[in-house]
Amino acid sequence: MHMPIKKPGSHPARFAAVAIAVTAASLSLSVMGASASAKSAGPTLVVYSAQGYDSATVKAFNATHPGFNVTLNDNSTGPLLQQIQAEGNHPTWGVLWVDGAQAFAQLDREGLLAKHIVPKVSFDTVGRANIPADGSYVPTGLTATGALVYDSSQIKASQLPKTWADLLKPQFRGMVGMNDPSQSGPTYPLIAGVMSYLGHYRSGSTTAAVKAGEAYFTKLKANGLVINATNGPTLGAIAAHTIKMAIIQSSAGYGAEVSTSPTFRVAYLNPVTALPGVIGIDGKMPKVVQGEAQKFVDYVLSPRGQHVMQIGDPQGDSLFWPVLNGEKPANKAIPPLTSVPMQTTNPAVWGPLESRINTWFSANINNG
Amino acid sequence: MATELTTIPPPLANRRRRLSASSVVLWVVLGLLIIAPVVSFLLLATSPRLFQQGPQYFTLHYVAEAFGGSTGRGIVDSLWVSLTVSVVAVAVATTFAWLIHRTNVYGRRVWAVLMWLLLIVPTWMMTLGWSDLLQPYGAASFFGVNTHFIYGEFFGPLGIVLVLSTAALPFAYFVISAGMRGLGSEFEDAARIHGASRWRTWQTVLPIIAPAILSAFAISFAETMSDFGVAFTLGYHANFPMATFTLFNAISNFPANFPVAAVIAIVLVLSTIPPILLQSRVMRRRSYAVLSGRTRPARQREFRPLGRVGATAGISAVFLIALGVPIFGAVAGSFVTNLGIYSSGPVQLSTTFYQQVLHPSIADKSLAAPLVLSNQLGLVVASVTGLLAIVLARRLITNVGGWSQRITDVFLLGSVAVPGVVLGVGYIFFYNLSFITGHIVDLYKTLPLLMLALVANSLPGQTRFMAGPVGQIQPSLAEASRVHGASRWRTWRTTSLPLFSRVLLWGWLLTFTKTIAELAIAQILYPPSQEPASVTIQAYLANFQLGTGTAMTVLTLLEMLVVIVVALGLYRLLTPKGWRRIGWSGVKS
Repeated sequence: MHMPIKKPGSHPARFAAVAIAVTAASLSLSVMGASASAKSAGPTLVVYSAQGYDSATVKAFNATHPGFNVTLNDNSTGPLLQQIQAEGNHPTWGVLWVDGAQAFAQLDREGLLAKHIVPKVSFDTVGRANIPADGSYVPTGLTATGALVYDSSQIKASQLPKTWADLLKPQFRGMVGMNDPSQSGPTYPLIAGVMSYLGHYRSGSTTAAVKAGEAYFTKLKANGLVINATNGPTLGAIAAHTIKMAIIQSSAGYGAEVSTSPTFRVAYLNPVTALPGVIGIDGKMPKVVQGEAQKFVDYVLSPRGQHVMQIGDPQGDSLFWPVLNGEKPANKAIPPLTSVPMQTTNPAVWGPLESRINTWFSANINNG
Repeated sequence: MATELTTIPPPLANRRRRLSASSVVLWVVLGLLIIAPVVSFLLLATSPRLFQQGPQYFTLHYVAEAFGGSTGRGIVDSLWVSLTVSVVAVAVATTFAWLIHRTNVYGRRVWAVLMWLLLIVPTWMMTLGWSDLLQPYGAASFFGVNTHFIYGEFFGPLGIVLVLSTAALPFAYFVISAGMRGLGSEFEDAARIHGASRWRTWQTVLPIIAPAILSAFAISFAETMSDFGVAFTLGYHANFPMATFTLFNAISNFPANFPVAAVIAIVLVLSTIPPILLQSRVMRRRSYAVLSGRTRPARQREFRPLGRVGATAGISAVFLIALGVPIFGAVAGSFVTNLGIYSSGPVQLSTTFYQQVLHPSIADKSLAAPLVLSNQLGLVVASVTGLLAIVLARRLITNVGGWSQRITDVFLLGSVAVPGVVLGVGYIFFYNLSFITGHIVDLYKTLPLLMLALVANSLPGQTRFMAGPVGQIQPSLAEASRVHGASRWRTWRTTSLPLFSRVLLWGWLLTFTKTIAELAIAQILYPPSQEPASVTIQAYLANFQLGTGTAMTVLTLLEMLVVIVVALGLYRLLTPKGWRRIGWSGVKS
């Protein structure tokens, strides 16, 4: 009583269609198989990195170190730190490499970082200033946060503000923008740097410095400060002439200047805050992985590693100042570091305040 | 005799045992896919110490924190926006389904295809398109249109409701279309024969597709509650916090505040219960199975020429707003080099950004390998999800049982409302437990785990999507086949599969495209050095290389379209003609 149903596959076209479908399915299954076998090969070094030049660096390291198979988790800083926090006492990361030392200070406090990993290389003054006493993390390059990126077709260099107090003057009303610290990684170090500078912070309690900083940003908002989420929309606002300048990370400004926005320039208020690219090793990993990680850190700070960092992301993160004697910036747009008035903040002091200060900023400056 | 009366006949007893075993297997699968990871995350709301996220084993501190300030406002905003969007989407979708399936409106095939396009375009891309059009020195200003005031309005609740409504529209449309397709014209005929006016006829007929309408409302509500793209773009810029954004904000600082995020996630899940209760209350009253072997094709209403043109213009206008604007914006963003830049000169068209896709500015960061990987992920995830979704959809629409079905229903819709970031982080908490990795299976940071998470992310929506069409197939069809001696497999292959085939195909395509576009889970769980396309594109968009990122997005969307065309072609080649004439159809009206 069954109705006969013509079986598929008798036609050549159907045969080809089946062949295509089976081939595609087989390819996908082979991906799963390859992945599973990779996991069973034993612990290997995984680099968690938010640097634009990380892909190039990992590839170059593997190419020059036979037998190594370093892999990369390339993400923004936020998702990387979320993953590290969620992984807790069962970490997967072997090396963390992001801008800013605040997170490293926190990880060090929790005992998650390997100590004394600083390679025997010749750091310059700024490099040495960003190495902690226990050697639990290492600067690999330097940018400045709070750099004044402006459009030279809108405002001349001679008309720019020179100090942080200048930004509050009426002639700059509605002209200045910055990023939201809860969305943009380098912006909290900028706010912490401003607080530290305006509050004349040296040591001890940060209460007075935080109050001075909050008062400053409140006045800046009253003077028409424009907040955007990240570098992209903030630089876009300058390009659209919505604002004339913004206080953001120096490498973003140079990146715009050498690629999409040739009239953009970077100036520096006195002082800006050092934002080192920092690398650290997971102290909970097996010794063999820590050994691999150390080799990777050594490579990053070698002349070859520094060169790869400088060519890996030429319109973005590669636009940094090296922190090693004898190394020079990748692009002539970047001035000598000695010409930049730069301060360093203590990540162990300001790191723990990040969540509280960002919440205050969101409530009072973003939405206030 | 007494023994005969009280003893359950062996076949029925076996059937019950089989059902019970299948339920256990199914719930174990769901447990591993969704429940364990999500519950691991949600437990943090009151017990942060369980996963080393705080000192307390029990506290209500984070509950209070989550309902205060902008976080609390985000929850309220999300609730009223989702409610508004659901009503708008269902109303428009019902009208569209009727116009496209039951009238002689022009271009019915085109509209149905465009509805699919609308489904695969991510909400963040819609926002990007609107922004590119309306922003200062954007695409509109090149045509001499001053968009200053519209721009201000768009970056507010109005724009948010508009974009989210267009995003929810296809979900509602396909569910309601399925309901309407199964509704033969005999019901309308019966009403008209008994003297009902046209309006009265619709009042009579619409309740028959009440399950589809309520299902559409529920899925629209849950999808809107869980949307992050609009919350992160429009909501953020308009200072209009929504729950998914405040959840993201809670874990974007370091250290992340997972407990507060968990409280918000619980609210998102719980918010889906009222729509489900309403739906199950309605569905319990009667059977809505209308699709059978005797279902007749619906009769079309013939518009007069003016009405036909008017109706077509109305549909065109909606698609122009919903789809034309974002696509135009994205394409403009990928070709115009001076978009959004102050300029007194003309538009500067260039293929620079597409050249940069081939020669990326970031070394070893091309789109090719990630896109291949994403397609492989899509292939596996869509296939596995399709099979599981059919099983779950059949359970969902079964009238017998009661509690099991209701729990499945609540569970599935609640899962739709779970944002991807919660699922992703939950997978870390659960699958990276020492006990799991040491004694059961070590999948953390592997492709199989990413695939499982993507299946978990797609399964609830896919099941809800399939439940409508599957629910309209009368069980008598399979029973007739069995009575005539067919095995279970043969019954499924010759009776159910032909009716399911098109919904399976379109469901597969839906999951495939969503998998390629998915970012939140991929970003968290992708195996080191095996980056999916969405993560690569995000790296460019976040790095002030919007042109390159947009060009990559356009190419990825084009590739998705090619896959859709190939899949439809394969379906046409592989299946008997009869399969294409019966059952649910996503496009052909």
